[in-house]
Amino acid sequence: MSAVLPSGVFFERYAAERALVRTGPQWVALALFLAGLAAVPWLASDYVLGVLTLAAITLVAVLGLQITVGMAGLLNLGQSAFVGVGAFTAAALAAKGWSPWVCIPAAAFAAGAVSLLFGLPALRIKGFYLALTTIAAQIMFPIVMIRLPEDWFGGLAGLAVDPPVLFGITAGTPAAMYALSVVVAAIAFVATMNLRRSRVGRAFRAMHDNDIASSVIGVNLAKTKLQAFFAGAFFAGVSGALYAYFVRYVSTEQFTLWLSVWYVGMLIVGGLHTPLGAVLGVLAITALHELVHAAGNVALAGLTNVSGGTVFAMTNVVLGGVILLMLLFEPLGLAHRWALLKASYRMWPYPHG
Amino acid sequence: MELLQTLCNGVLTGLVYGVVALSFVVIYRASRIVNLSQGQVVMASAFFVWLFVQQLGWPLWLGLVAALAASVALGALIERTVFRRLIGQPVFTVVMASIGLLILLQGAAQLFFGAQTRPFPQIFPEGAWTVGPLLLNKALLIGAVLTLLTSEALHRFFTHSRPGLRLAAVAEDHVTALSLGVSVRQATAIAWMLGTALAMLAAVILLSGTVLGLQAAEIGLRALPVALLGGLESVRGASLAGVLVGVGEALASRYLDPHTAGAASLVFPYVLMILVLLFRPQGLFGWKKIERL
Repeated sequence: MSAVLPSGVFFERYAAERALVRTGPQWVALALFLAGLAAVPWLASDYVLGVLTLAAITLVAVLGLQITVGMAGLLNLGQSAFVGVGAFTAAALAAKGWSPWVCIPAAAFAAGAVSLLFGLPALRIKGFYLALTTIAAQIMFPIVMIRLPEDWFGGLAGLAVDPPVLFGITAGTPAAMYALSVVVAAIAFVATMNLRRSRVGRAFRAMHDNDIASSVIGVNLAKTKLQAFFAGAFFAGVSGALYAYFVRYVSTEQFTLWLSVWYVGMLIVGGLHTPLGAVLGVLAITALHELVHAAGNVALAGLTNVSGGTVFAMTNVVLGGVILLMLLFEPLGLAHRWALLKASYRMWPYPHG
Repeated sequence: MELLQTLCNGVLTGLVYGVVALSFVVIYRASRIVNLSQGQVVMASAFFVWLFVQQLGWPLWLGLVAALAASVALGALIERTVFRRLIGQPVFTVVMASIGLLILLQGAAQLFFGAQTRPFPQIFPEGAWTVGPLLLNKALLIGAVLTLLTSEALHRFFTHSRPGLRLAAVAEDHVTALSLGVSVRQATAIAWMLGTALAMLAAVILLSGTVLGLQAAEIGLRALPVALLGGLESVRGASLAGVLVGVGEALASRYLDPHTAGAASLVFPYVLMILVLLFRPQGLFGWKKIERL
């Protein structure tokens, strides 16, 4: 919660002060934003709609990462493996004829359960050592997945997924998938905002700031660490299930270490410390990716010796560069810039310091 | 006898992991930087060797010297532009920076050199020596000897020389080191130059006479469990842990892989790493950290 409010805005009840949306103009802005989101399917092409759907699905996974990494301070470089677990679980259940109402939660719980397995070392280790066990999860994921019996998860070939049926409607169109993903992403965002100011979320943040001190004031470190892992992977599972429904096909090649690294990159660029950072990061990196992609396509049309891999390489160079620049010059991410902007707008015309 | 051959192969492969692990350890031991992009640094060194020896056709010794110079220059550049500015920052930031570097280097290598594979020059002799009933790969054996010699020399440098002992203070804590008059900047510079020189050695041992491609960088994440197993602060531990992992992997691939469709040897180093971290978080020979409020 930012401390600065425009002059004349005050609260008479604590509940009003704690609310996420606190003033009339904020409600107006929120309504306009939601109306804008709802209007997108009528305004945008199917391609743009697809990009936004993928961004919303990615956002769910990155919000999960924000909980594990940003809130609880446990480095996780295996988020895409947990997304993969969710995607495969949802795909396998959907193939057996279960409805999305079962598949999505099952995917979330499956990913959470797997994350506990790799969170166990967290009881003994911390910092970057922990990052390594999650890298181990990431590397072991495809090795194990393609060797499991083929009638479980399709082995090397992967699994095809039918479009989800919700409320009797088959969500096969880009617009329907967009609606589903954005609604889920919105729920995930509100859930993360609320988790942050709940008892569990405060324990996460205390542990993040100083784990020994927090254990002294009564935070059960072992329990809290496992909770943080579980919560992050739970979101990853949901994201994976949506991804399976969106792409309609899952295979291990979709869930690489690169993707995990990209997730972390998005979070860094956006800002680790608030859920808003996850949103800004996903939007910024998606926009950047599309920009490089478009530039690459122009180059591809003009030159003959540019291959498709070059665009991927270009994107990596740009993303790596952006991550380094953010760490060096704006470690708090875009969310911090946003907060500064908001503060100076509220204080205007007075300077702020 | 077949078992003995398996063990020997395991030891030799393990020492290749050992030399890459050594380059992780040296950077950490001198500057408290965990560089996850070390695999990409190894790959970059390999590309330099290929560029000078194969592409420009320089004589082998000159090409190697030039590649070594280029690698060290790359290390100095990375240190100057990124890690010098992060001195005193939390481990988290440093790890993140190394991840950014990983993406950047991988992308840059693909842009400059392309994704196709190419032959890597033959630096060590081909073939194998026959010792009794055993066949020992010449390149790997020479590499193993070089690895052990380097690791012993580095061990002496870090534990028996004044500049080396100063680096230990930096590995312990940047702020304390600074307040005791140890130059952390100098330490990170030394760390990166030593680390990239070792990466160059690793590239030569790993790739001599084989093919070079972007996937050469994968050695980084395969050697990481080795570095952890030995303990990130222990120079000697790296090669010993390399041997352990190499032998375990060779045995797993010989006896378990037929039953698990080849998964056992691939998963083995990571499972071992997780188990070791559970029971001995500092690795076999690492420093035990005592934390206070």
